[in-house]
Formats: sequence, structure tokens, C-alpha cells
Amino acid sequence: MSKKTRYFVLVSGAILAVGLGTGLVASYMGLPVSVLSSAAGPDELQYVPQDAAVVAYANVRDVMNSEFRQRFRKMEPPSQERDEFEQKTGLDIERDIDSVVAAFMPAAEGVTDSPERAAVVLARGRFEAARLEALALEHGGAVEDYKGKRLLTHLDKDPADGTMAVGFVEADLVALGGIEAVKRAIDAAADNRNVMSNNELMRLVADLDNSNAWAVGRFDALARQARLPSEVQSQLPTVSWFSASGHVNGGVSGILKAEARDEASAQNLRDVVRGFLAMARLQAGSRPGMQQMVDSLQLSGEGTTVALAFSIPSEFFDALESMARQKQGNRP
Amino acid sequence: MSIGFWGASRRVFDLSLGEMLWSRRTIFMALVVGGPVVLALIVRALDMFGMSALRVNGRAVGGIGIFGVMIWMLFLRFIVPVLAVFYGTALMADEVEDKTLTYLFTRPIPRGAVLVGKYLAYVACTMLVVLPAVMLVYFLVVPFREVPGTFTSLVTDLGLLGLGLAVYGAVFAFVGAFFKRPLVLGLVFTFGWEPTVMVLPGYLKQFTIAYYLQALVPHAMPSEGITSLLQGFFRETPPMAASLAWLGTFAIVFLWLATRAVERREYVLEQ
Repeated sequence: MSKKTRYFVLVSGAILAVGLGTGLVASYMGLPVSVLSSAAGPDELQYVPQDAAVVAYANVRDVMNSEFRQRFRKMEPPSQERDEFEQKTGLDIERDIDSVVAAFMPAAEGVTDSPERAAVVLARGRFEAARLEALALEHGGAVEDYKGKRLLTHLDKDPADGTMAVGFVEADLVALGGIEAVKRAIDAAADNRNVMSNNELMRLVADLDNSNAWAVGRFDALARQARLPSEVQSQLPTVSWFSASGHVNGGVSGILKAEARDEASAQNLRDVVRGFLAMARLQAGSRPGMQQMVDSLQLSGEGTTVALAFSIPSEFFDALESMARQKQGNRP
Repeated sequence: MSIGFWGASRRVFDLSLGEMLWSRRTIFMALVVGGPVVLALIVRALDMFGMSALRVNGRAVGGIGIFGVMIWMLFLRFIVPVLAVFYGTALMADEVEDKTLTYLFTRPIPRGAVLVGKYLAYVACTMLVVLPAVMLVYFLVVPFREVPGTFTSLVTDLGLLGLGLAVYGAVFAFVGAFFKRPLVLGLVFTFGWEPTVMVLPGYLKQFTIAYYLQALVPHAMPSEGITSLLQGFFRETPPMAASLAWLGTFAIVFLWLATRAVERREYVLEQ
């Protein structure tokens, strides 16, 4: 072997060795997401407890300003309840709420879920705290302080639902939910023991691409909460994590992702979805609206991941709108 | 002094590796393998400027998604079979064309050892070029934060590309040793037979390398065009163990057939 050939072999081998070594270190040393990139997701995540199984986010401002929302707004009937709510609370949901984060913290398997600690919703926007406090007191609520944050509490009519609370955690951020869940949200931010240190969940959040609505979480938590019969649960594919993200503008586009427990399950799931897609393409046939939607479905994924991207164009809603108008026109 | 079969193969391997690496064919290989690396550089550059190289339904495809598409479309369906065709069919044909076969066959070594040595040199040469290129593409395209979750896919990819080069190489080494127009036959097999039977229902796809190789790919098959749609519709995925067993069998059987062909064939060098 000549010197030139030997050098070539050495350089090629070195590239392979360095690459494999780097990958091995990154995989098995468990480098946290925060080391590899800036913290993903909205700031509200610091109030989400570390053991959250499902986290969802919606950029309400973006969605409300979207052409999609404007289109449906025209078709909405006037709502008296909404006006009354605005008069009492001074809160116009369309105008005053910027974003919402919801987290679901199910109890461990075998333990009964407590509504007081199961879920918390964090809403960012403009709130009239004094007006809301007065309203709560007027309706039999109470006001208390927890770690320097003001909490409005109210015992639900059904005692099984426990005490509900609204916590003013920041000037423009409120936490709503069961009293225990709201307190845990305040603790999560104060002790810095929040979902941002949950690497697996944050990995999914980091993968989301500038969507204005998304949800990520553990699939088993969802399946358990759905209280499906055990026969059905055993038939569910062995999906461990899921994420769904969407972008609402003129149309709606998004991507659904599932992480199976192993590559064989993922392959099976991909095969099943691929079969459905092929069938849907054949069924869509000559219906242009449907065909456009079905054509937009794209299956992808690698290893244990299965992903299905979709896009419902504004033309699809145009067709729906004209159908609705036609129906209204046909009515006597 | 005569040496054993494997000793002879090693000598031929040493001689052939350098010849293969610094031949004119290497320029072709560099171009073929350099393409994905250049593409990966472009993807990385676009990413640095906040742009996305690949969008599906207006949404950016993540780094590992782009890498998966490159493995399927560029490496598995094109680079591996093409390199195997050009190098595999030329293992003996080059010596015949250059009229240097006599020098090898007049040595006191088994004829089959010449082919095995050259085949091993081909495997080493192509792997030394293709696998580092895949590694570069991976680290250019996949963001570092995604490495822990996707590293096993990369290792699987490297393994299956290596296996693909070895199996396709063995098949084309036989084609090169046995048939008169091996390059044409190789190209017909790669771009005619395999893509055609892969989209047809039935058992014919079992007579391809791609059927077993594609079963090992950890990435989802890109669903583009009618060919992929049909392939997805009629796709059967053989179990991993069966795929590995069949690929191993193909490599051994075709290499053995190739050595037998070289040992029995009477080469007539044109003057």
C-alpha cells in the first residue's frame, strides 16, 4: 500500500471514528436539550410542573387574527353570553388574551386523579385583577396569598371537583385550575423545578417549528385518561410520545408525530398509515377539494418516529363556505 | 513459491486498493459522493440564514427528515447501486481491457483469489469514500441537539450502506466475470429490473437486492410521485433477520459463482 493510499485510509477512518465517537458521547452521556440549544417553547413553561404528561400551547392572538378565524367569525351568530361575560369580567377573549398554555398532570397509575391537581391553564394577556377579585368575592370566592402571588379561590358546587383557583402569577399572566395545580405551578417557577428540565418532553417541544398551536405529551397518559376498554387499549399501537402542531392562517397546516416504543412498532404504524393514505388517495378520486387535501398528506419519519403532515388549503374552506351558503339559500 | 488462497487475495487486495483509489473512476466516484456533501453544505448554509431547504405543505422539514430523504433517494437508490455497477463489473473487465490479466494469471496463485482480492479492495475503496461522506452529510444536516435521538439511525444507515455495497458488488462481480457486456446488464438490473418489480404486486421483488435492503432502512420511505405511491401500496417488509440472511446469502453465493467463473473461463485477449 502506497503512502498516499495509507493517508487516504487514515483520513477516512478518522472521519468515521470522530463521527461515531461524537454520536456515542452525545447519545449515552445524555446531554440535556438546554446544553445543545436555547430553551425551546414559550416562557410560560417555567410554570408547568416537571411531571406534566401533556403540554399544549396556542397563540390566541395569531389564531384570532388569522384569515381562517375571520372567515368563520362572519358566519357566527351573535352571542349574548359572551357579551355578558365581557361586561362582568372586562375580558374580551378575542382581544385581551395573547396566548394560552395548558398542562395536564395525571396521577400515577393506580392512584385516583384529583381534579385539584390534574390540570393548569396559563393565559397571557391583559387582565383587570381588581375587577376579577371583586367579582370572585361577590360570588362567594376567597382571596389568599401564596408565595407572594394573589390567588382567587372558589369551592365548586360539586364538592368532588374541589376548589378552583385563579392565580395572578405575573402582571400579564394568570394560572387557572384546581387550587393544588395552581400552587404547584407557582412552586415550579419559584423552585426552578419545571417541565423545562424534563428532557424528553422538551425535546419534542424543540422539534416544533414556528406553529401557532401545538401539543406534546405521553401517549399512555392520554389513553389512560380516555378510559378505553382494556381490549381496545391492548390493540393501540405501542406509541410512547406524541406531538401535534399546526399553523392556522388562511388554511390550516400541521404535522402529527408519534414515537413508538421500538422501531418494529414504528414500522408497523407507518405501514398502516401508508395503507390508509393509499386508500384515501384512491377514494378522493375526482373530488377536487378532497383530492387537494389528501394530496397534502405526507408520511415521513425514521427510527421510532412516525410523522404525518397535512395542509388544508383556504380553497377547501371556500368550497365549504359556498356549500353552507347554498344550503342556507335552499331553506324556505 | 506458491501462497494460499487468502494470502494471495490479500496481496491482490493491497495492489488493487491503491489502483482503485487513484484511478480515473475515482473522479466519477468523488463527483457522485461529493454531490450529497455539497447539498448538505447548502442545507446547512440555508439553515444558518434561517431558511429551510425542504418544505412539505409549506412547513420546514427537520434535519433528520432531510437526512432520511438523502439516504433513500441519493445513497440507497442511486449511489450504492451505481458504484457497485461501475466498480463490480470492472473488477476483471479492466484487466482484460488493459491486457494486464496475463500478468496476474501467470502468477502462482489461484485465479479465484485474484477476484476475491479485487472484490475486497472494491468494498474497502467504496466504503472508505461513501461512509465518511454519509457521516459528513449527517453532521451537516442534522442539528446537534437531535444527535442523541437519531444516532442509532445513522449507525444503521452506515451498516446497511456497507452491506448494500458488499452485496451489489458481489452480484456485479459475477456479472462482470460471467457475461460479455457486464456494464449494460448491470445498468439494466439496477435501473430497469429492480425499480420495475419493486412497484409490482407478487413475489418477483424477492429476486432483487433492493427488497431486502430497503427493509432495513430506519427512515420512512419518501412518498413522492406515482412510483413511491405504488411501491408503498404493494410494499411488503420482510423481517430484519430474513433480510440480513438473504443479503448475506446473495453476497456469498454470487462471490463464489464469480470465483468459479473466473477459474473456468478462458480469457482471450484481443491483440
